[in-house]
Amino acid sequence: MNDWLARLSQLPQQWFESPIAAIALTLGAYFFGIRLFKLMRRPSWCPPMLIAAIVIAMVVASLPIGIDDYNRGASWLMLLLGPATVALAVPLYQQLPQIRALWKPILMTLPLSATLAACYAVIIAAIMGAPKDVLASLAPKSVTSPIALGLAEELGGSRALLMGALLTTGITAIFGVEWLSRILRIRDPRLIGLALGINGHALGTVRAFELGTVAGAFASLGMSLTGAFTAIVLPLVWHLFY
Amino acid sequence: MSVLRGFLWLLAFLLLGQTLVQLLHIPMPSGVIGMLLLTLWFGYRGRMNPDVVHVSQPLIAMLALLIMPGVVEIFFVADQFADQWAAILTALIAGTLLSVLSSLLLMRRYLPADDEPANPLGSIDHE
Repeated sequence: MNDWLARLSQLPQQWFESPIAAIALTLGAYFFGIRLFKLMRRPSWCPPMLIAAIVIAMVVASLPIGIDDYNRGASWLMLLLGPATVALAVPLYQQLPQIRALWKPILMTLPLSATLAACYAVIIAAIMGAPKDVLASLAPKSVTSPIALGLAEELGGSRALLMGALLTTGITAIFGVEWLSRILRIRDPRLIGLALGINGHALGTVRAFELGTVAGAFASLGMSLTGAFTAIVLPLVWHLFY
Repeated sequence: MSVLRGFLWLLAFLLLGQTLVQLLHIPMPSGVIGMLLLTLWFGYRGRMNPDVVHVSQPLIAMLALLIMPGVVEIFFVADQFADQWAAILTALIAGTLLSVLSSLLLMRRYLPADDEPANPLGSIDHE
C-alpha cells in the first residue's frame, strides 16, 4: 500500500518529464478559458488568455513540480510561434493592394505611434520611481513577443516581467481600442486593425482577425512594422540615456 | 497532405529568414523576416500557394495560445517586483490607453476615408 502511494506521489514529476503533460495542460486551460470567457459574456478586460494563464499557474502551483518543469514542456508548443509568424504572410498578401494604396499615411503615422507606445509607459514608470531593469522590461511592451524578448535581453530587463507586461498591454490595448473607437465613432476596420496591431501586438492581432479579415491584415501589418521599427530604434535611443 | 506541404513551405521560409538574419545581422526574429520574404514570393508569383493558405488559417488562430505559456511565469516571480507594482501597472495601463488614443487620432487624421461600408464590430467567435 505504501509502495503504491509513493508511486502515486511521484506521478506528477514523471508526467512533466516529457512535454506531453505541459502541452495537454496548456491546451486544456486554453479551451477552459474560452468556455469560461463565453459564460462570462465575453468581458473585454478579461480575455480567455488571462483565464487560461491563471488556471495553468494554479495547477502548476498545486502539483509538486516547478514552473521550470512546465516551461520546458511548453517550449515545444511555442516552437510553432515561428511558422505561425511566417503564416501571417497570407493575410498580408491578400491586403497588399489596400496597403499599397495607403503606404504614405501609414509610413507617416506608424513610427510616431510606435514611439509613443513605448515612451508613455517608460516615462510614467520613471516618474513613479521604477528602477532601470523594470524600465527595460516595460519599453518593448507593445512589440510582438519574439522581438520583445530579444530587446528586453539587450536592454537588461526581466523576461518574466516582460511577458507579464505583454499580456497586460495586450488586454488594455484590446479594451482601449474598442472603447475609444466607440467614443471617437471610428468604424473603419483598417484603422481599428492598425491600432490593435501597433499597440496590442499578437494579442491585438488575434482580436482583429475575430473582427474581420481586413482588420486582421492591417493588424498584422501594424504589428510587424512596429516590431521592425522598435527593434532598430529602441536600442539606439536607450543607449543615449543609459 | 496539403496541410503538411504548406507547413513545409512555412518551415522553409522560416529557415530562409533565419539564414538572412544571421548572415546580415538583422535585429529582428527569423519569423518576421520569413513572413516578409513569403509575402514577396507570393507577389513575385502573382498568386498564393493553396497549401500555404490551408495551413495558415489554423496556425494564425493559434497565435494567442502560443503566447500564453510564457505569461504563466510572471505569477511565480511576482514578489520580486513587489514594491514596484503600482508603478508597473499604472505605466502599462495608462500608457497603453494613451498610446491607443494617440494612434487612433493620428490615423483618423491622416488615413483617407474608406468608400466601402465599414464592417460593424459585431459577432465575435473564439473557436
